[in-house]
Amino acid sequence: MVVDAEGRPPVRIGVLSAEHVHAPTYISLLASMPGAHLVGVWDDDRQRAAAAAEPVATRAFDEVDALLERVDGVVIASANSRHRRLVEIAAAAGVHVLCEKPLAITVEDARAIVDACDSAGVRLMTAFPTRWNPAARALESAVRSGALGTLVFLEGVNTGTMPDIHAPWFVDPTLSGGGAVTDHVVHLADLFRWILRSEVVEVYAVANRILQERFAGVETGGLVSMRFASGVSATIDCSWSKPRSYPTWGGLSVQAVGTGGAFGIDAFRQRLAVYGTHETGISWPAWGPNADDGMLAEFLSAVREDREPAVTGVDGLRAVEIVDAAYRSIAAGAPVSLGAGQL
Amino acid sequence: MADGGGPGLHAGNRAASEPRLARTRTDKPLRVGVVGTGFIGETHVAAWAAEGIHAVIHDVDAGRAAALADRHGARVAESLDELFGAVDVVDICTPTHLHAEVAIAAARAGRHVICEKPMARTLADAEAMLAAARDAGVRLFVAHVVRFFPEYVAARAAVLDGAIGEPAVLRLTRASFRPRQPAGHWFFDHAKSGGIVLDLMVHDLDYARWIAGDVVAVHCRSASVAQPEAGVDHAVAILTHRSGAISHVSASWGYAPPTFRTAVEIAGSRGLIAQDSTATTPVTPSLLADAAGGGLTAMADTGLAGDPFRLELAEFARAIRDGTEARIGAADGLEALRIALAADESARTGAVVRLTQEAD
Repeated sequence: MVVDAEGRPPVRIGVLSAEHVHAPTYISLLASMPGAHLVGVWDDDRQRAAAAAEPVATRAFDEVDALLERVDGVVIASANSRHRRLVEIAAAAGVHVLCEKPLAITVEDARAIVDACDSAGVRLMTAFPTRWNPAARALESAVRSGALGTLVFLEGVNTGTMPDIHAPWFVDPTLSGGGAVTDHVVHLADLFRWILRSEVVEVYAVANRILQERFAGVETGGLVSMRFASGVSATIDCSWSKPRSYPTWGGLSVQAVGTGGAFGIDAFRQRLAVYGTHETGISWPAWGPNADDGMLAEFLSAVREDREPAVTGVDGLRAVEIVDAAYRSIAAGAPVSLGAGQL
Repeated sequence: MADGGGPGLHAGNRAASEPRLARTRTDKPLRVGVVGTGFIGETHVAAWAAEGIHAVIHDVDAGRAAALADRHGARVAESLDELFGAVDVVDICTPTHLHAEVAIAAARAGRHVICEKPMARTLADAEAMLAAARDAGVRLFVAHVVRFFPEYVAARAAVLDGAIGEPAVLRLTRASFRPRQPAGHWFFDHAKSGGIVLDLMVHDLDYARWIAGDVVAVHCRSASVAQPEAGVDHAVAILTHRSGAISHVSASWGYAPPTFRTAVEIAGSRGLIAQDSTATTPVTPSLLADAAGGGLTAMADTGLAGDPFRLELAEFARAIRDGTEARIGAADGLEALRIALAADESARTGAVVRLTQEAD
């Protein structure tokens, strides 16, 4: 049997669904991580499973049970609406779960996902890789160290191109749960909760459908303001505001302001500028570290050590509650309160 | 109508309340009086001088007025009445809460008025200023200088050219350090200045309206600390425009000197405009002698593309001389103040403030 650097056997991992744009990255990283043995990929679309498995020469499974009985943990990378069913199947099989964000498209589903894993005694982690981005960690450290004094405001921007170019389901609300607010609020909401160690108590949000040639299927522009129990206010621009001509998918940045000064991060700033021909245009390939690496390593460690992962299912649930509050606020045209977030 | 000119509309002040004057004399240079010789007063006096106009100045602090007069070759008026008697235009650079009093007196003396932003401390004051100017038949301009910054002008021109289609999401940022004024300075007295929202954020509230049109709902959160020694003031407003566009407007005095960062992002139905002062500074000296720099009050770098204060005052002077309109009129100043007061109220109460403008 293959063992890792510390002489431990690798964690056996499967990938459930390759619908999500992140699936190829997860598959390629898992195939080469020392602590992981990528057993294979299952997808309800046989061809998609084969296509996802092929680059790393892993096995494509037709039957989900056949994969589940051979693994310790799974990474779920389906369309958002299918998370709940896949988590429930995995949990019932006693398999630990790393689920793509957002955890679910409704608070009810997110809660059911957390409950299913709790009752089955399996570990549940939500895929919030931003917590492993070095710039985000630098901000967290700066706040922890007290260098910013008393933090008073966090302004976050997580904007990008409309993701339908990667997968059409992103703009089908029955599969995605919503548009830009669903897609782009959770990363920063989770980062802010982690930095502040505090819960959101109030949310105000506005949204529109003007961007991307007035695409009408889901909201494409959104601004969210939130207040934390600790008193800190935060905002998130979650818009799909990058046009197709933008040299990369988008970005994530934060400006933090406290009584000790301000601290800015731009999580994907480490990139080249490549100027091509008229046809290839300009591109910004990233050269910074891939935060997915740290996130997947944490999942493997949590499974191996049978402990709570650093980002839990409850963290995923809290982010879904914030998204749900944002939609309620958009409908109400006013701030809405968020209960203490009890399970 | 109180419309800043949304996309597709031509710029300019079309306020019905604005008096239409016959051309005044064009042969004589305009005589200008500047009231208030603080930071912005001195900036205006210098800009007027660059335009070849040596202002008459007045300040309740006669010593400060004399010192400023020495630096810029200006003449001091001992009283407001003396100043009114010596000029055609009164340029008001007093603390915000005194704008109305001086503006109304100047109008009643038959003098045209240029008033530093924000137009006034209260809506009632601003409306009284408009009425006084209308009754006296004099012009009234509000000096929202951001409309004269070349990058902001270029971004608006790109929007009007259709470069990005219809504006959808605006993000406007103004990040700087707290003015280095002593405790007790009027700047830190909310009753006099209106705080960071009326003083700093109002720039971008006006600009948001200039780009995306009238605002119907305002939400704002601020972390304003009353004690100057605490050193942080920060506010973020989320605006909903009548067009459906939404704006995120951030104003901060929470950064370390000598920071003065301004940024504009206008995302539209067919494209994106991005401008960030940190990326477009044409000259980057790094001189050891300047290490303690930053000045008393931060001011956006005017760059090499022309002094926006000079462009602003020259445009107002031309409008007065020729009886034409400037890119911003008194009604625009009033609307910017209305949005700022709504933001201040929202920050205080936590509620969303809905605005209704006079029917177009």
